[in-house]
Amino acid sequence: MSITFNYFIGFSFIYILMAWAIYLPYRVKDLHFLTVATMAVTAYFSGVAAVNWGWPFYLVLISGILLGALISYIISFVIGDVPTFTVVIVGITFIFITKTVIENTDYLGGTMGFFAIPAVDNILLIMTGITLVISYFLYMIDNSQLGRAASVIFADKKMAYSLGIKPKRIGRLFQTISGGIAGSAGVLYAYFTGSLFPDFFSFHLVGTLMTIVFIGGYSTMWGIIFSALILGGVPILLPSAVSSWKNLIYGVLLVSVILIKPDGLITKKFLWKIKNKIKGM
Amino acid sequence: MKSKEKLLEIDSLYLNYGSIKAVKGISLYLKKNEIVTLVGANGAGKSSLLKGIMNIEKTKGDILFKNNKINNLATEKIVNKGISIIPEGHLIFSSMTVWENLQLGVYQGNKDKDITLEEIYNYFPILEKRKEQKAGTLSGGEQQMLSIGRALLSGPELLLVDEPSLGLAPQIVQDIFTILKKLNKDGFTILLAEQNVKKSLEIADRAYVLKTGEIVREGKANDMLAESNFMDLYLN
Amino acid sequence: MEIVLAQIVNGFSLGSIYVLLVTGFNLMLLVARIIQFAYPQFVVLSMYASWAVLESTNNIFLAALAAIISSIILNLLSEPIFRRINNRENVDINASFVASMGLSMIIVEIMSHSINNGFPVSFPDYWGGKNLFSFGYINLGRGEFYALTGGIILVAIFFYLLYHTHYGRVFRAIAESRKTAKQVGLAVLKSSILSYLVAGILGGIIAILFSMLLGSASPWLGESVALKVLAVSITAGLGNLKGGLYVGLSLGILESLAVGFLAGSWANVIAFVLMLIVVLTKPEGLFGAAIE
Repeated sequence: MSITFNYFIGFSFIYILMAWAIYLPYRVKDLHFLTVATMAVTAYFSGVAAVNWGWPFYLVLISGILLGALISYIISFVIGDVPTFTVVIVGITFIFITKTVIENTDYLGGTMGFFAIPAVDNILLIMTGITLVISYFLYMIDNSQLGRAASVIFADKKMAYSLGIKPKRIGRLFQTISGGIAGSAGVLYAYFTGSLFPDFFSFHLVGTLMTIVFIGGYSTMWGIIFSALILGGVPILLPSAVSSWKNLIYGVLLVSVILIKPDGLITKKFLWKIKNKIKGM
Repeated sequence: MKSKEKLLEIDSLYLNYGSIKAVKGISLYLKKNEIVTLVGANGAGKSSLLKGIMNIEKTKGDILFKNNKINNLATEKIVNKGISIIPEGHLIFSSMTVWENLQLGVYQGNKDKDITLEEIYNYFPILEKRKEQKAGTLSGGEQQMLSIGRALLSGPELLLVDEPSLGLAPQIVQDIFTILKKLNKDGFTILLAEQNVKKSLEIADRAYVLKTGEIVREGKANDMLAESNFMDLYLN
Repeated sequence: MEIVLAQIVNGFSLGSIYVLLVTGFNLMLLVARIIQFAYPQFVVLSMYASWAVLESTNNIFLAALAAIISSIILNLLSEPIFRRINNRENVDINASFVASMGLSMIIVEIMSHSINNGFPVSFPDYWGGKNLFSFGYINLGRGEFYALTGGIILVAIFFYLLYHTHYGRVFRAIAESRKTAKQVGLAVLKSSILSYLVAGILGGIIAILFSMLLGSASPWLGESVALKVLAVSITAGLGNLKGGLYVGLSLGILESLAVGFLAGSWANVIAFVLMLIVVLTKPEGLFGAAIE
């Protein structure tokens, strides 16, 4: 497999995971941008652990996931039940903080970058495995009572309260899980690329992920797989003259989808139709 | 005796809120200087009808004002043509002063209207007294007067009054109805939607009875008042 | 001590720009009912427009005009986009936020690629580099002076218009209750479009003042400012005009002080951390949100 194609597959997985990390809290209307900061933290943690402390990959992976979940868990308590835009500001603030700390810390490589993270054999296979596990986990959540409760909260928070659903709790749970997913993405990203630059974990990444989630369809986890592949992965295959314009394309797509098909390409309705067609065959 | 032409004429009007049919094919008319009241239980369609006339809600059917079709004109254009609505719930802007609320009406309506702020203060002296106060600090009855005053300032020929007695104490209700009668004497045509049947029939010339979006009875208000079992027949 | 005073004076100038930006942002929020995250980007793009005109004509007046015209055009062009989004049933304000994020991405990309090869642009120092006022360490450059006085005058004019004209009253009425405004027959759609025009004019003037204050513009300027404007609005209370005044000014002063005492990128962080603390202790904003 060519190197570029490798990168395409690997980054597709990473974008899928990060987009899912945004998708899950948005099921209850939380725009959990903190996940980008979490990814940065776990990525650099992996780098330091692997290079400076000599930790083995699987230890780093598990620690990274736990670290990510822990960060989101703690912050979710601090956030409580604030309105959507406050959650946005929290996320943005932490992205700023993380980026600035990294840029100003020589131990982490500063703006020059952190290098020489050792490669892991069969990293793509591992990524596939982790993505499958997480997808199964998400699928279980979506099709459980928890998932249904989330849909109610999304549609009408007040009604959810009156039905005995606890939006705060579910919000915290989803944020924590999302943190874990972002944690895994951070670790995989570190080992896959071998080097880290603080520029990657910026508000641009937020924009990319938002585009992936909203084009794919924020109400189901499946559309994101396709949009992550096409929007996140394909630019890697394209010549840089074209791919340098990707943010413009993201912006145009994002505005277009909100105007034309605000629920995204793959919606619950769409899935239903497909399910029925399959049953009918 | 000159036959008065119809000021407002409605023909087969339909209004739906999504799948809920609020107005199902209503036809009615108003002559100049009449007070006509719409009578009916909660949810009968009275308020919806008034909102439909102002195009606050979309309708199907014909609405003719002074023989011109006004259905689906923008609400502010309907105000300019000479119809004002006093909405349900004595709606005013609490954060703005009484004077500022009234000013909103001053800039509406036709350019050749001749009603002035002084005339409004004559109708409602309390509003002049409180003109610098924030409208939110007024009592319910005073807010209703403010709402009426604002509507009058756009110089309408036709006033749509939506449930004026809602939420007001009986004495205030009496005051409001007295004002409506006076306005009618001064030349305003009034279409009234009101749950307080007795009070509204007392000041009205004619009435239409609505039940689940349709007219089930029409006639002179006095005749309906005289019927002892009127309330039971039509309002349950 | 003098240095601190100098920073504070600087901070007032920067703060007045923030106040103007937040005011335009809040105007859109209150009357047009949208979160216009890209509003500061429109301002920066207008700065670029005025730079382009300045480069080719060397005429300050034309350049200033270019800023205002381009800002008006940008804002008016965005109106149908947001109107279409808002006209759908079951819409919530998030949709406009996401759409405006998209607009922001488009503009930043255009600025990074097509204009001046992505390099920052600088505005020549027409004031001859002389400071208007010098007192020890405190230097009030002409640029800062104009930004500050321009800001004060503009805010004063804006509030005057809001409280003493008919359309100002209509704006305030719509801001209080769009539903009531519709019912009493106020021209809500017309006023909404008018608010874009006002935001456009305001944005153009902000672009002029900002060019005077900074002397340069870059694609990343809009990005960082957009985030700050959003944060200021949330910290003060979404839609709270008076709150925006206080928080915007405070942010300008705090940032100036921070730049004076900390390494560059930390100044940004401090601003956000402080705002974070505020919103976590009082989520509805320091002065209360003006909208639901």
